[in-house]
Amino acid sequence: MTWDIFVALLAATVLAGTPLLYATMGELITERSGVLNLGVEGMMIMGAFFAFIVQFKTGNPWLATLAAGFGAACIGLLHGVVCLIFQGNQTVSGLALTIFGVGLSDYLGAPFIGEKTVGFQPFDIPFLSDIPVIGPVLFQHDPLVYISYLLPWAVMWFFRRTSLGLALCASGESPDAVQAAGLDPVKMRWLGIFAGAFLVGVGGAYLSLCATHMWTHNLTAGKGWIAVALVIFAFWRPGRAMFGAYLFGGIMAFQLRLQALGTTIPSSLMMMLPYALTILALLFSSARGKGRNAPAALGDNIAPGA
Amino acid sequence: MMAQTQSCAAKETERTTPPLIRLENICKSYGPVKANRDISLEIRAGEILALLGENGAGKSTLMSILSGKSRQDSGTIFVDGIPAPFRSPRDALAAGIGMVYQHFMLVEAMTVTQNLMLGQARGILNPSAMRERVLELASRYGFEINPDAMISDLSMGERQRVEILKLLYRDCRVLILDEPTAVLTPPEISQLFAALRRMAADGKAVVFISHKMKEVLDLATEISILRRGEIVDHFMREEVPGERELAERMVGRQMDTEVEQTPVEKGEVLLELSHASCGMAQDLTCSLRRGEVLAVVGVAGNGQRELVEMVTGGAAPDSGKDSVRILGRNWNDFMRTRMGRKSMVYIPEDRKGLATCPSLDLLDNFLLTNRNGFQNFGFLDRRHSATAAEDIMQEYQVVADGLHATAGSLSGGNLQKMVLGREFFREPSLIVAENPTQGLDIGAMEEVWRRILEARASAGVLLVTSDLHEAMTLADTFAVMYRGRFIDVFPRTDAARVESIGLMMAGIRFGEEEEAANEA
Repeated sequence: MTWDIFVALLAATVLAGTPLLYATMGELITERSGVLNLGVEGMMIMGAFFAFIVQFKTGNPWLATLAAGFGAACIGLLHGVVCLIFQGNQTVSGLALTIFGVGLSDYLGAPFIGEKTVGFQPFDIPFLSDIPVIGPVLFQHDPLVYISYLLPWAVMWFFRRTSLGLALCASGESPDAVQAAGLDPVKMRWLGIFAGAFLVGVGGAYLSLCATHMWTHNLTAGKGWIAVALVIFAFWRPGRAMFGAYLFGGIMAFQLRLQALGTTIPSSLMMMLPYALTILALLFSSARGKGRNAPAALGDNIAPGA
Repeated sequence: MMAQTQSCAAKETERTTPPLIRLENICKSYGPVKANRDISLEIRAGEILALLGENGAGKSTLMSILSGKSRQDSGTIFVDGIPAPFRSPRDALAAGIGMVYQHFMLVEAMTVTQNLMLGQARGILNPSAMRERVLELASRYGFEINPDAMISDLSMGERQRVEILKLLYRDCRVLILDEPTAVLTPPEISQLFAALRRMAADGKAVVFISHKMKEVLDLATEISILRRGEIVDHFMREEVPGERELAERMVGRQMDTEVEQTPVEKGEVLLELSHASCGMAQDLTCSLRRGEVLAVVGVAGNGQRELVEMVTGGAAPDSGKDSVRILGRNWNDFMRTRMGRKSMVYIPEDRKGLATCPSLDLLDNFLLTNRNGFQNFGFLDRRHSATAAEDIMQEYQVVADGLHATAGSLSGGNLQKMVLGREFFREPSLIVAENPTQGLDIGAMEEVWRRILEARASAGVLLVTSDLHEAMTLADTFAVMYRGRFIDVFPRTDAARVESIGLMMAGIRFGEEEEAANEA
């Protein structure tokens, strides 16, 4: 009996961790290119909205996912316009993006609150899903979950084994070096913003297409902010980011179960848990050590014509 | 000798082979300042061309035009006789022109191999094949380098090798090096020169920017002298008239290259370190008397910053308050007192940042450190302070647009003179000066030296410098710093030790050099 609960908890961990994983990977790519984008929450909720509305109108979840990705990327590009073209302050622009995204999704989504959609349905992967424990935990989910398994490895491979990935990371470390090598660091940052925002949008799509199957107010509930914190917690490394996303997913799933079991701990305290952990994680990862540093040029604008 | 014969051979072919690069009437202005005026220059394969000039003579501007980093206002660059407009470093690289900047363009958080792959490998990377190429290239030019090392773990000399390898890997035909010896130890300098000669012998053109006469004479096969944005002279190595004359042409006037240092009587001990440590600086012991210049020499980054921070109060000594005694008091007691007249003054290396606020005017900057002398019941006395500041400007011959010019608008030399005047106004007993002439032209440099020697009569000077020439000119006592420790402390009169400062800067103790030579 308790064993079943444990397996169910692990499966729920994967589900809760998936949107975090997408959003964290997205922000990680953006930040590795040297752009600090605090608009994750706003892009994520807009992604969720785009996914919902396209799903609602067309009934095609794949189309909805793409719409979420490109929609969020377009909003992310606003950040690019402010920071890469007009050399604006990246922190302020990102915060504005969050406020904008949350507000706009609330406004546009108001008529649809409570509307249900189909979205993605779980399907079992043959053979793999029959393995005890591992099967139910990992291989009885939605397609977006399966795709997310590949994501950290793909990002790692991109960073380490492609010239584009190398140039993107170098733009976050030393734009001057990139320029001296005959490449354009600003282009790399556009790429970082676009690709990052796309993944954040897909993370949002997961919320409306897989997690809730409906549109409600404040669907992201701070998950975008957790993703921003997770990037720091992960020291900007994809592998650690995956670990972090599932760790936080686990905490979220755990507190929900605990509430369902009817503990005496007030539910508001329980709901606070992931956010309290975020602060703790930031605190511990701020104690700097070798290899834990942010990209050296993170948040620095590239002067034009330099 | 070898280099000499090679250059003669190259000179023979010079008339028959057309130049790789030809500059014609290059002009470039920054606002009212004409950085380059009508510059014409030829760069030939197999030659090492030295561009000699003072700071601000336009060397770096010219080279950044040639490397595609900035664009000329008028004039043409010809590559193999064909006009080549460079729009970005990419165009210059495509034409085979590569540049090693004074501030290295390396990604510190990546490995040597990754840095070489940046912008050069396409599509999917193959790090192990690249690694092999790095090793192969490095061994061909006698460079020792670990391809898997992180740039941040490398010394300045090693980083420079990585920069050069980047260009060699690209098969650049023209290598431009901007002040390449500034960050190197003497042994590293001779290694670099050997490699550069090798490259010239391989048929590459090397352009070498410097303001150090000795190096230019040692390495170059052709010398062009830049002064105020113009090329004023051009010599082949054989025709060079001699160091002194070269220097005169560079500054454009007769100059005495030596500031006379005559010992003055030493007074009481003003600064005493006994086994003092602070961060990277470890176990430092020395003392400084009134009337003495103690020069701490060493390659930058060997703990000098920590030493200065400790003495000036920026960081507390790890070794306890009693390990540092300043003007007769221990560190805690001294730092607690207000630094007024006849106390300690600090001339930082960073003139526009630590020493002055660039956006404030000269009067405000004067008051930043002298405000205690100009207060009436807590209000600043601007009238009297303005007179005092104007006197300083006159006495130190500060060329500026009046007292209300911003500090940022002054040239390095004028600003430094203003800073000296401001600090010496308080008639200090202890002067801490950090690379006080870095980036200054010879005229301003000598002025600063003279002022420091003048102040020495009534003060002790702790001079932290990475310029050996400066130390030789000013010091009564030398302390050579390497990896946070004093390798040796000795007086100017110890000729044998003074002779081997260069080796000490590379960590070789006095007396160990023969052993090292024997091993080699």
